[in-house]
Amino acid sequence: MDKQQREAWYLYHQQKYGIPVEYLRREYERELAGQNPMDAPLEIPDKMEVFYKYSYGQQSRFFRELRENQAVYGAKCPQCSKVYCPPRAHCSQCYKPTEWVKLKGTGIIKACTVQHYTTSAFIKKVPFICAYVQLDGTDFLLMTNMEVEDVSKIGVGTRVKAAFRENRHGTITDFYFKPLE
Amino acid sequence: MRDVAIVGMGTTKFKSRWVDKTYYELAFDAAKMALEDAGLEKDRIDCAVYGIYNDFFQRQYQPDAFVHDYLGLGLKPMVRVNSGGATGGAALRIGYAEVASGLYDVCLVLGVEKCADTYNYEMKMSTPEVLRAILYTADMTYDNPAGRTAASGFALAVVAHRDKFGNPTEEQMAKVSVKNHFNATKNPLAQSPKVLTVEEVMNSRMIVEPFKFYDNCLYTEGSSAVILASREVAERITDKPVWISGLGASADYVMPGNRPNIYTFESSRLAARKAYAMAGVKDPLQDLDLAELHDAFTGTEIMAYEDCFFCEEGQGGSLIDDGTVMPDGQLPVNLSGGLIGCGHAVGATGIMQTYEVALHLRGEAGRRQKKGARRGLVQSIGGTLCTWTVCLVLER
Repeated sequence: MDKQQREAWYLYHQQKYGIPVEYLRREYERELAGQNPMDAPLEIPDKMEVFYKYSYGQQSRFFRELRENQAVYGAKCPQCSKVYCPPRAHCSQCYKPTEWVKLKGTGIIKACTVQHYTTSAFIKKVPFICAYVQLDGTDFLLMTNMEVEDVSKIGVGTRVKAAFRENRHGTITDFYFKPLE
Repeated sequence: MRDVAIVGMGTTKFKSRWVDKTYYELAFDAAKMALEDAGLEKDRIDCAVYGIYNDFFQRQYQPDAFVHDYLGLGLKPMVRVNSGGATGGAALRIGYAEVASGLYDVCLVLGVEKCADTYNYEMKMSTPEVLRAILYTADMTYDNPAGRTAASGFALAVVAHRDKFGNPTEEQMAKVSVKNHFNATKNPLAQSPKVLTVEEVMNSRMIVEPFKFYDNCLYTEGSSAVILASREVAERITDKPVWISGLGASADYVMPGNRPNIYTFESSRLAARKAYAMAGVKDPLQDLDLAELHDAFTGTEIMAYEDCFFCEEGQGGSLIDDGTVMPDGQLPVNLSGGLIGCGHAVGATGIMQTYEVALHLRGEAGRRQKKGARRGLVQSIGGTLCTWTVCLVLER
């Protein structure tokens, strides 16, 4: 490929995949300039992507309450009294339909670690806390991350409270936990 | 049920990247080796079970169909198994059932995994994108948005275990890392042969507390295959069959809120108990000659000592301190180097572990051969805080 063709190749792939031209040039200039032998492995940029209009099904109210009312709800089994949060429409032991119960939003950390490395989607947030929280009034664990000034002050037994974000989208990240003073 | 033997096996080298092969080309290499080892033509295969974990890694949904086609096994029945890190073990379980049930006489069980075709252009490396692909196996509604990794899930369990029992200590975990990296120096297939010191492991950078860099396995590409056959066929075609004498499996609640605690892996304990009962193993420490345990992380290898009943609950750390699990110890663990030393090519891993134990039972393990090995254990685990466990007891 001549220089003009290479630049067109970079622009096309930047538009298609959102990868900046400078990164593409770094990875592919040698190949596009014809410096690789014909039998050498040929690498190409690619991406797997699917769009959704995902239904929360019978958990829909949980997310609507988060978004509209800044409230955290659990789901209580009328038979064994177990309260699930994350909620589920049926108790997985009794197979009975659960009932919605409004929670206070306070809870306690039951398991805790600190991530210093993670996926490309979260790598800019390290170090952060990765923890299981049991919300008061529930019998279940909720996976959460916490971005705090001093990770060493957070541990098993730390009391936490849900705080809501100003912009809420009907996702679990509409709220986050912060330590209870 | 009919007796089932491993009559052939093959594995590619475990490497950080096989840039010159696609996943089905890698699978082809392992299948060819296994067939040659068994002395069988491909048309003797009655059915196939493929262990392939992550479709994003392969850049292909239903990758099993393309493996099957490339291996020239058209019109033979096959099924793909995906049980996270336990995919290889789970594939062996299904293959065992195919033959033991009498449905088929000869079954190819093949695991394959690519991963490092995923790539983060900004960071110029694969790992963060590999982790991102894995995160799609966390609950998408509640867990995925928290940005956790496989390591942080298992770290939560190891921390809980340490809080309850006082071990594994950082030093005990470092000793496991030193052992497995060193064992890998004697395995020509291994990805990470290294002579490390405990200090080097403990001073390596923190990944997720309490795991430092060398406490973690790396991501690996590779393929491993075994050919399973009924006793009737096995005795006709080979004089060195390796028998699957015990098999146990369990799948725990993936949401740890549904479990009584997270400091032990109940699925592992159940799977081991079941495999031992089937094989007649009474005292694992006495009755087993070697074990390949799923050491995705050093701390979970130590938990596996307990979960496989090599010691009392809470005593796991003592087995690395007293040398029981060292190459010259009473029950060597991960002579292959394990996932940390040999590598973790997810779908292939459980089959690589099985290959390793079978190699020792056949007396073909070269410089790392466990002398006189008659019986060994394979443990294959995977999923959030060990959702799945499959245990196999192999005998010659």
